[in-house]
Amino acid sequence: MSFLNAALLGGMAAAGIPVVIHLLHRHRFEKVRWGAMHLLERVLRENQRRLKLQQLLLLLVRMAIPLLLALAMARPVWQAGRSLLGGGKTSTVVLLDNSYSMEAGRTGATAFGLAKEEAVRLLGALPRGSDMQVVLMGQGGGTLFERPSFDAGYTAEALRGLDAGYGTATVPAALEFASGVMGQMHEASRQVVVFTDFQRVSFTAPEAPALSRALERLRSGEQPAEVVFFDVGQDVHDNLAVEALEYSRLMVGVGQKLAFKAHVRNFGDTPRSDLPVYFRVDGEEKAAAQVTLGAHQSGQVNFNHTFSTAGSHVVEVSITGDSLAADNVWMASIPVRDRLPVLLVNGEPSAQPLRGETDFAEIGLQPFSAGRVAQADLLGTRVIPAEQLDAKRLSECAVVVLANVARLTEVQVRALEGFVSDGGGLMIWPGSRVDVAWYRKVLFNGGAGLLPQAYDAVQGDTKEGGRTVALAAQRFEHPALDFFNDPRNGSLAEGAVRLWMSFAENPAEAAPSRTIARLETGAPFLVEKAFGTGRVVAACTALDADWGNLPMRPFYVPLLQRLTVDLASGVETERNLEVGQRLVALLPAGAAEKKVRIGTPGGGSLELTAQRRGGRAMVEYGGTQRPGLYTVEAPDGGKTHFVVNAARRESDLQRLASREIERFGGENHVAVVRDGTQYQDLERQRRFGRELWQPILVAVLVLLLGELWLQQRFTRPAMAAKKPVEGRSR
Amino acid sequence: MAHISELLTPSDLQRISSLHVLARQVVEGFCSGLHRSPHKGFSVEFRQHRAYVPGDEIRHIDWRVFARSDRFYIREYEEETNLRATLLVDLSGSMNYGRGGVTKWEYAVRLAACLSYLMLQQQDSVGLATFDSRLGTVIPPRSRVRHLQLILDTLQAAKPGGETELGTVFRDLVPKLHRRGLLVVISDCFADVPELLKALAHLRHAHHEVLVFQIWDRDELDFPFRKWTEFESLESAGHKHLLDPVQLRNTYLENLARFREELTQGCRRHKVDIVPFVTDQPYADALAAYMNLRMARA
Repeated sequence: MSFLNAALLGGMAAAGIPVVIHLLHRHRFEKVRWGAMHLLERVLRENQRRLKLQQLLLLLVRMAIPLLLALAMARPVWQAGRSLLGGGKTSTVVLLDNSYSMEAGRTGATAFGLAKEEAVRLLGALPRGSDMQVVLMGQGGGTLFERPSFDAGYTAEALRGLDAGYGTATVPAALEFASGVMGQMHEASRQVVVFTDFQRVSFTAPEAPALSRALERLRSGEQPAEVVFFDVGQDVHDNLAVEALEYSRLMVGVGQKLAFKAHVRNFGDTPRSDLPVYFRVDGEEKAAAQVTLGAHQSGQVNFNHTFSTAGSHVVEVSITGDSLAADNVWMASIPVRDRLPVLLVNGEPSAQPLRGETDFAEIGLQPFSAGRVAQADLLGTRVIPAEQLDAKRLSECAVVVLANVARLTEVQVRALEGFVSDGGGLMIWPGSRVDVAWYRKVLFNGGAGLLPQAYDAVQGDTKEGGRTVALAAQRFEHPALDFFNDPRNGSLAEGAVRLWMSFAENPAEAAPSRTIARLETGAPFLVEKAFGTGRVVAACTALDADWGNLPMRPFYVPLLQRLTVDLASGVETERNLEVGQRLVALLPAGAAEKKVRIGTPGGGSLELTAQRRGGRAMVEYGGTQRPGLYTVEAPDGGKTHFVVNAARRESDLQRLASREIERFGGENHVAVVRDGTQYQDLERQRRFGRELWQPILVAVLVLLLGELWLQQRFTRPAMAAKKPVEGRSR
Repeated sequence: MAHISELLTPSDLQRISSLHVLARQVVEGFCSGLHRSPHKGFSVEFRQHRAYVPGDEIRHIDWRVFARSDRFYIREYEEETNLRATLLVDLSGSMNYGRGGVTKWEYAVRLAACLSYLMLQQQDSVGLATFDSRLGTVIPPRSRVRHLQLILDTLQAAKPGGETELGTVFRDLVPKLHRRGLLVVISDCFADVPELLKALAHLRHAHHEVLVFQIWDRDELDFPFRKWTEFESLESAGHKHLLDPVQLRNTYLENLARFREELTQGCRRHKVDIVPFVTDQPYADALAAYMNLRMARA
């Protein structure tokens, strides 16, 4: 305890005044010759002890009033052992919410700008020798400096240069990260100052329990840290966002119409009528629509587009009309192929039409070419006998179909494995020539091979015209088959098989496979397995009409086409990313060890060296912190577009109400401040101790009232004494 | 029209030095306010006729005389007293209290004078006994008008002092009262309540009617002292207490209320009338109290 005006403590001597007054009263008394002495004496006899106690209590209260008043004027400060913590030096971690909701603001001042300004001021006011670190909250945290800094000026410089990110703020993860950073700090006194806009989505369920746990860990760790939440949020309610863009993720061909569904949401309280929504392809506006949205309402806008050229295209849906621009655009990178090469490996060739194993499939995969129609087919097939399958032919195709192939050589198997592993697609259809034992031993290889599940034995009726088993009618989750969830597109249940291969159960150590379609008996019809970056689909029956009626059914063509296109899509890496997600581009093998240029949003570019990855080259880039278009330019000039969209979790700018913020602080035992002055008061209390004059003044007030009350209480006549004097009995 | 005694307070009347004049003033003032004759209902004896004047009651007209003389005459009667009253006036030291105004003793003396005058005016017999811890002067009841002067002289000559011992006093008094009658006790009753009640019971046992006029000073009822005060006993010299009356007031008043309640209840139990009087009250109030009692007995 120390005093800011210690000289005023002399005023405590005033506590003697009531004693002096008491003594003076005792010596300057009146004399009364009194008749009703027996009444007085009875009172004295019965109440002497109580009267003395009352007198003493009143005297003490009266003495305490000037005593406490002098104490309050001396401005005592309660330090509670702060001096033991080392001269006020404090290790400080500033946790800065740099999610894009912090870009929202009014009259030009954004929450992020305010946070930076306050953080610079706060760090500048730290005692010399304090170490400090800045943690950026977006995408789970990251430090501004490699090591904690002791230089407030340098830190301020770095802070001023920061821009708000476009990621989402995950407060619990960021606090955990800050907890780890705290381990590198030096001082015993520690604090974490969290600059945040208290966006509702970040502080309510399901984040709340994890947040409480993270705060508890910070507070009660080996070296506990004080946590202060600095509320820099502003009440900005209006925000519009393109929430999502839906379209078919299957490979698109030139001339194919692609449908887009844009979801637009109004997060604000003001209804928006005739809001323009623009649709652009490769930067050129192709269509515009208007949508009317009520408060907190979402709507859907549909666009269609047919790509006329092959290659990588960028589709963009955008709106305007609010201050937070990051969520006003949704971009999509769409690879368009003019022809997708498919290699059909025919295990049972035939000179007669439609008797060969792949004859139906060849027609089904390129119907326009087969029908001599002038329309373009996306898929282009090439049929080879099994013995011609080699690495060269594999490198020229996107998908391979093995149809009733008895067996392959070891070299062929290795080449096929390399092809799939590098992202190629493989379909396996059995038949009467299949060597089941070889398939199990080599192609399944205990779960390590290409075959998702080992073939067991041929099932069904071998007689022509015998009993058949239909395919199961079911709801499909697989993207290649969900097309058949709409009955207008045909039903797989129309197909029936007479003969089929049963699949053996996979051993526990086998790589996982999944059944994507079944027979009505429940036995698998199609099973799928990922192999490297590619995928393999195995069927249980033949590709032609020998074992069933599948080629005769309307679903045969779309089934084959969608399975093939889906497998071919696996060759591509994900081109539509979220902020912070790693960009991975696969390039032709020739690009390996060469410089690859990446164009970034805003017109910048950088160069990276492509790495060899199997039979291909690959380039990876992790700096996708800005949403927008990233263009990967291969050494041969080929361009691949990647788009990065800001996560829409931050679009809802609704903040916690003041009462909820208070409750949050109370429940988690953390201080919440709204501005620098409040923080300074808090800091002053922590560093120098708490000034006590206010509670003491309150105590003086209470004592004054108490003295009045006691005085009244001790002198108030009892009800009985108020009886009228006059009156007559009887 | 109000009589002068109604307009004067006890302190004004203090300036009228003659007790006789004072008593007459008070009693006549009091009686002029009465509308009904206090004599009604007593046994009477014919004294004389007098001429009728307007305002006399018609039932008192002697119709025989009217028949003889053709004039209205009223029959007047000589009253025959049947009340023997003795005033017992407290001479103890505590009766000498009174700050700046009338002391309780002075008030008691004047009250006794007024009562005596009134009683004699009504043809009642009145006597006097003074007491403190012992019985003092005792004047037996007489109904002669001259008897009043003896009573007044005795009251004027008496000086208060000494302690109160009502039990002994009343026991000593009973044998001296040969016939039963009304005993009017004028005292502050500052004594041990059970003892006092026992003494009153003794009087009642001897078939006397007892009326107690309890005299209070306003200070004793309100305890208005604010400064530290040394209270010295009026009855025992050197017996004193220094205290803060503000702090004590509550308890004092509670104690006072309890004392009065005990006394009132005790008197009611023994069928004794007790009327509290404060020294700033008009004497007429006391006479009214007496008259009420007198009427009740009639």
